[in-house]
Amino acid sequence: MKRELWNQDWFGPFAVTVLAIVIVGALKPSFLSPFNIQILLLAISVNALVAFSQMVIIAIGQMNLSVGAIGGLAAISFAGMMEVWGLPWPVAAVLSLGIGLLAGLTNGLLCAYTGISAFVITLATLSVFKGFNLGITEAQPFYDVPEMVKWLGNATVLGPIPWLVLPFAVSAVALWYLLFRLPLGRSVLAVGGNTHAAELSGISVPRIVVFAHSVSGLLAAMAGIMLVARLQLGQPSIGDDWLILSFAAPIIGGAVLTGGRVSVGGTCCGVAIVAIITQVLVLFNIDPFLVQVVLGGLILWAVGVNRIREVRGQRKAAAAGI
Amino acid sequence: MIDIKKIATAGAVVAGLTMAANTAMADSSTRVALVPGGPHPYFAAWEQAGKDAAKDFGLGSADYKVPQKWELSLQNQMLESLVTQGYNAFLVFPGDPVGTVAIADELAATGAPVMALAGCLKDPSQAVFCMGTDTGNSAYLGTKELLKVLPKGAKIAHFTGFLVDPNTQLRIDAVEKAAKEGGAEVIQVIADIDAPEPAEEKINAYLAAHAGEVDGLITTAWVPAVVASNALRKIGDKRIKMVGIDHDEVVLGAIKDGFVHGTMLQNPYGQGYLGSYAADRLRSGCTVKKDAPFKSIALTDKFIDSGTVFAGADAVDNYVGSMQKITKDIFADFEGKYLNCG
Repeated sequence: MKRELWNQDWFGPFAVTVLAIVIVGALKPSFLSPFNIQILLLAISVNALVAFSQMVIIAIGQMNLSVGAIGGLAAISFAGMMEVWGLPWPVAAVLSLGIGLLAGLTNGLLCAYTGISAFVITLATLSVFKGFNLGITEAQPFYDVPEMVKWLGNATVLGPIPWLVLPFAVSAVALWYLLFRLPLGRSVLAVGGNTHAAELSGISVPRIVVFAHSVSGLLAAMAGIMLVARLQLGQPSIGDDWLILSFAAPIIGGAVLTGGRVSVGGTCCGVAIVAIITQVLVLFNIDPFLVQVVLGGLILWAVGVNRIREVRGQRKAAAAGI
Repeated sequence: MIDIKKIATAGAVVAGLTMAANTAMADSSTRVALVPGGPHPYFAAWEQAGKDAAKDFGLGSADYKVPQKWELSLQNQMLESLVTQGYNAFLVFPGDPVGTVAIADELAATGAPVMALAGCLKDPSQAVFCMGTDTGNSAYLGTKELLKVLPKGAKIAHFTGFLVDPNTQLRIDAVEKAAKEGGAEVIQVIADIDAPEPAEEKINAYLAAHAGEVDGLITTAWVPAVVASNALRKIGDKRIKMVGIDHDEVVLGAIKDGFVHGTMLQNPYGQGYLGSYAADRLRSGCTVKKDAPFKSIALTDKFIDSGTVFAGADAVDNYVGSMQKITKDIFADFEGKYLNCG
């Protein structure tokens, strides 16, 4: 059954995003200046990958508390391999993506084959990955980032559109295609929707769990690498702030925490809404404490809207005798 | 990486000058733990400082122990664990000026000397003293330096650190005071940005919208100083003058290239080195003088200023020398001023 446009998961967040852009742009014209658009797109590009990294895990009905720790480890590995070993940046990037993949794979294997909840496993691995990070860096940044990487982190490709939009856009399209057009992605959503039913229909749940965590690790590593390019240094604290955002954006974008339902477009809009709010609080000189309050309020609102939709859906199904 | 070699060299020179006079003080049973509030490059110099102090004064050890995150409970757990591991002197950056008092008192009850380092505990506490940058004074002096290169009535923005950091409010007040005295106006304070992602997002957003309205930037935390230096370099704006803080390579490079006017150097190495020395002396039977010339600041009446100095383009190459001189000066009469070892 084809759902109407306004009933799509992404439509609500998209409408809020457009409305926010129009209102803030009218009140503060500098918000729509090319430089600010570039800043906004840079923030969205990196934060979207962080959100995707969590979204894939939400899709299987789990959560990954180690997203930031994996991203941070990949980031300092990327910068460290270039500075300490003098590796060319593409090689360092591929190896760092490999580290992210390996970290995700470890999470996946532990979650799939120990029977311990992902919450506990990723809470433990968060500590392990962060420990590696601090052990390697001793809390000091890596500074010798090649000019090419710095350029990629700050250059624009078309008007105010930064280069970093490219990996974000490719990842978004690839994720959408994977989740909604390929059997593998459908299996991910099926496992999240009803693990038992998925198992009975022949899906290997452990394999899907391992796959989802591996993708999550890869995406987190990509975000970490992009942040090194954007910040022009490998800060050990990269990733420390990701946890709330990683949950907020998918939830605002219509993801159901119990799994089986996520929206790539909605998550992108969730990221955009959070980025706009962060900017608005700066542009209008609003108390920084309010950033957290507003973000918390937004998550509550999004979860509330999702719950209302679920209840309505159940009522409709009951009325139709399904 | 931060030039730890330079800091280590500075330490070695200071140590070399002082070692001869102090080898008799050795008490190999002293095990000092230097515990920051969480991972942060500012504290990196404590590690070398501890090692140098252990070597120079014959301590059992002086180890730098970093909690994994900026969380009071994590820091408290680490401190408790260090007691069981046999550490008997603690140099602690308080995760919270009030919240850390209880654990500091608990540590002191074991007989260990406890000192607040780089940030203070709110009195009353069992900490023997607090040694750190007079953050208010540093922010005040930095703002004054900034105002020297700005026209009368200039508009400045202040980028600062964690709101939970006891020093942040002191810095905000000091910048406001200096601006008022100099006839300038602080048009915006952006706080809680001592982490890369929020700093990058907010500082750039601010400059995108307000670069034309602001004449100067004062940054009073490490990461905002780094990010603002990069941002000014990126937009290529030398009209906006900036005074940063600390000795990050990015900031020093921006000063050399003329994008940043200067930076307020702090003395983390000296804090770790002098703190470890004092801890050992206290364990060897010295007591804190009743009439020690402590300074009074908002949080405590037992404050020792570890020093701060402005480094502009002319002094940036010799920042290690500046830190070295401060440490040497404080060390020269530290025992006579603050301790009773008779």
